[in-house]
Amino acid sequence: MFTMLSTSFQEGTFEGGFTFTGHWQNYTESFAAFDTQIYRSLLYGLIVTVATLLISFPMVYWIAFRGGRRKNLYLLLLLLPFFTPFIIRTLAWKQILADNGILLGSLKNAGLVPEDLQLLATSTAVLGGLIYNFLPFMALPLYVALERLDHSLLDAASDLYSTRRQAFFKVTLPLAMPGVFAGSLLTFIPSVGDFINAELLGSVNTTMIGNVIQREFQTNLDFPTGSALSFVLMIGILVGVFLYARALGTEDLTG
Amino acid sequence: MAAFLASCGIEGQSQDADSEENAGLTTDQVNGTLNFANWPLYIDRAKGENPTLIDFTEATDIEVNYDEVIQANDSFFGTIREPLANGDPIDYDLIVVTDWLIARMGRLGYLEELDHSKLGNFDANAGAIYKDPNYDPGNTYSIPWQSGITGIAYNRALTGRDFTSMSDLFDTEFAGKIGMFTEMRDTISLMLLLNGVELDSATIEDVEEVQQQLLQQVDDGIVRQYYGNEYADALAREDIVATIAWSGDVIQLTLDNPDLRFVVPDDGGILWVDNMAIPQNAVNPIDAHEFMNFVYQPDIAAQIVGWVNYICPVPDAQEILADTKGYKPVAESPLVFPTPEMETKLHRYKVLDEDEEQEWNDLFQQVLQG
Repeated sequence: MFTMLSTSFQEGTFEGGFTFTGHWQNYTESFAAFDTQIYRSLLYGLIVTVATLLISFPMVYWIAFRGGRRKNLYLLLLLLPFFTPFIIRTLAWKQILADNGILLGSLKNAGLVPEDLQLLATSTAVLGGLIYNFLPFMALPLYVALERLDHSLLDAASDLYSTRRQAFFKVTLPLAMPGVFAGSLLTFIPSVGDFINAELLGSVNTTMIGNVIQREFQTNLDFPTGSALSFVLMIGILVGVFLYARALGTEDLTG
Repeated sequence: MAAFLASCGIEGQSQDADSEENAGLTTDQVNGTLNFANWPLYIDRAKGENPTLIDFTEATDIEVNYDEVIQANDSFFGTIREPLANGDPIDYDLIVVTDWLIARMGRLGYLEELDHSKLGNFDANAGAIYKDPNYDPGNTYSIPWQSGITGIAYNRALTGRDFTSMSDLFDTEFAGKIGMFTEMRDTISLMLLLNGVELDSATIEDVEEVQQQLLQQVDDGIVRQYYGNEYADALAREDIVATIAWSGDVIQLTLDNPDLRFVVPDDGGILWVDNMAIPQNAVNPIDAHEFMNFVYQPDIAAQIVGWVNYICPVPDAQEILADTKGYKPVAESPLVFPTPEMETKLHRYKVLDEDEEQEWNDLFQQVLQG
C-alpha cells in the first residue's frame, strides 16, 4: 500500500522510469478526467446495495421464519448458482440476454416486447449483473441476523397488544440492523470497484472506475494515474462507510 | 513521510536493461528442453496432440513444454514484466507476441538478439514482406509465427448490402449494431487509413481528428460496444451486424454461418504479425533457435497453417496444401495466402515511441470511457 501511495505521487513514463515529485497533480488531473466514472460507480454501488436489500430481505425473512425443517435446503438453493465461478456466471448472462438469445428471442417471437429491444451493452444489464452477483453478500448476513432473532420477543410484543406490523417495525427490523449494516458494506464496497460486469455486460457508456484503473495499469502502463485513482476510490469508500456507520450508530448495534 | 515515499521510486526500465544486453545468450548448447508460451488454438492439433511438436521432438530430441498461456499482449506483458526488468529469466524460452510489443520489448532490452546463422530456413523460405519489418529492423529480435489482417466482418444477410469501407461502420441505418475494437492500434489505424493518412507519417493531429469521429460515432448511438476477443461471439449471436475483425476468426465463423463475410476495406487494412522471440536470459535459447528454424520448413509451415488458418509466413506452403487432400480451400483462400492485389491494400501499424503511444492511448481512452 505504501508503494501504491508513493507511486501515486510520481511522474514519468514506464520506459524512462517514474520519479517521485510529491505533487498532487496526478490526483487533480485523474479526478478531473474520470469524475464521470467515479460518480457512476458510486451510484451503481448505491443502487446495487438498495436493490439487493429489497430483494433479499423478504427472501431470507421467509426462510428464517417460515422455512421450518427445510431451512438449510432453501439456503442451499439460494447459494447453488454461486458454486459456479463469478466470470462464468457473468458470461452466461451474456448468452441469456443476447438480442436474439434464449430470453429476448423468445419474448420477441411471442410479440411481447418490441423487436429492437436490447439489454446487453446497457446500464440495465450491468446493474442486473451486479445485483445478481452480489446478492449472497447481502442475503447471508441478513439471514444470520434474522435466524438469531429470539422469537419470544415477538410473542412478548403481541402479548403487549402490538399488531404484527408494529412488531415487525419495532422488534424485527431493529434487531436485523446489524445484518443490514454488514450486508450493505459487503455489497457496496466490491460492487463500486467491480469491472467484470461492466466489461462483459456493458458498453462505453457504462464504464466504471474499476475498468479505468485496470486499463491504466495494464494497457497504458500509467502506474501513477492508476494508483492515484485507486486511492481516490479507497478514500471515497472509507468516507462513505464512516458516514454510514455514524448514521446507523453501529456501536449500539454490534456492541 | 515524504522522504520515505520518495525512497520507493520506480527505476527507469530501459536503463538497467542496457547492461544486460551485451551479455549474450546464456548457453551455446542444445539443452534438450524447450518451454514454449503461445496463444490458445494457435498450433495444429490432431487427436488431442500437436503433430508439429511431436515431429520436432522426433527430429531433434528436444522435449517441448507447450503452454497456451497468452490471452492478450497486455496481460501477458504484465505477468513477465517484473522478472525481465530485474534481469531474471522467465519460465519460457520462446514466446509469441504481436509486432508492436516486440518493438517495445526490444527497446527495453527484454529480448535476446537472434543468431541468424542458426535460422537458415527463415532466410531461405520466409516471404519477402516478413523480412526486415518496420517494428524489428533486420529481424534482430524476432521472426514471424503467423500473421493476420485487421479488416471488417459483416453479416450479409442482415446488412442487405456489401461493406467495402470503414465509412460503412458509420452508417446510421445500422445504429446500435456496430462493433469496434478496444485494441487501440487496430481501431485508430483503420480510421487513419479511412481519412487517407499514411500510417507511418500519422501525427497527433490526425489521431485527434480520428478521436472526434469516434466520439461522434458513439454519441450517434451507432456503436454497440468496443470489443476485445469476444467480438466474434457477438457477431455469431447476431448482436452486431458488422464489426472490425481479425481475418482468422472470421474464417472459423463462416464454417458455421456462410452469411458472414470478411473484407479488407478499400481505404486499407492492417497486416499485423505475431512473432516468435526469445526473452532475455532464457535458459534454453539454442533449443528455441532450433524450433524457430524447424517451423520454417514448408511442409511444417503448411501443417500449422492448414489448421490455424491465419496467414503463413512461408509462401511455399500454399503449393503443399493445394496438393494435400482436403486442404484445397485453405490453399485458395486469399485470407490465408493474400493475393498480390490484396497485399497492396495492406498496411502496417506505425511504430510508436513511448511518448506517442501514451498520447494515442490517452486520446483513445477518452473514447472507451464514454
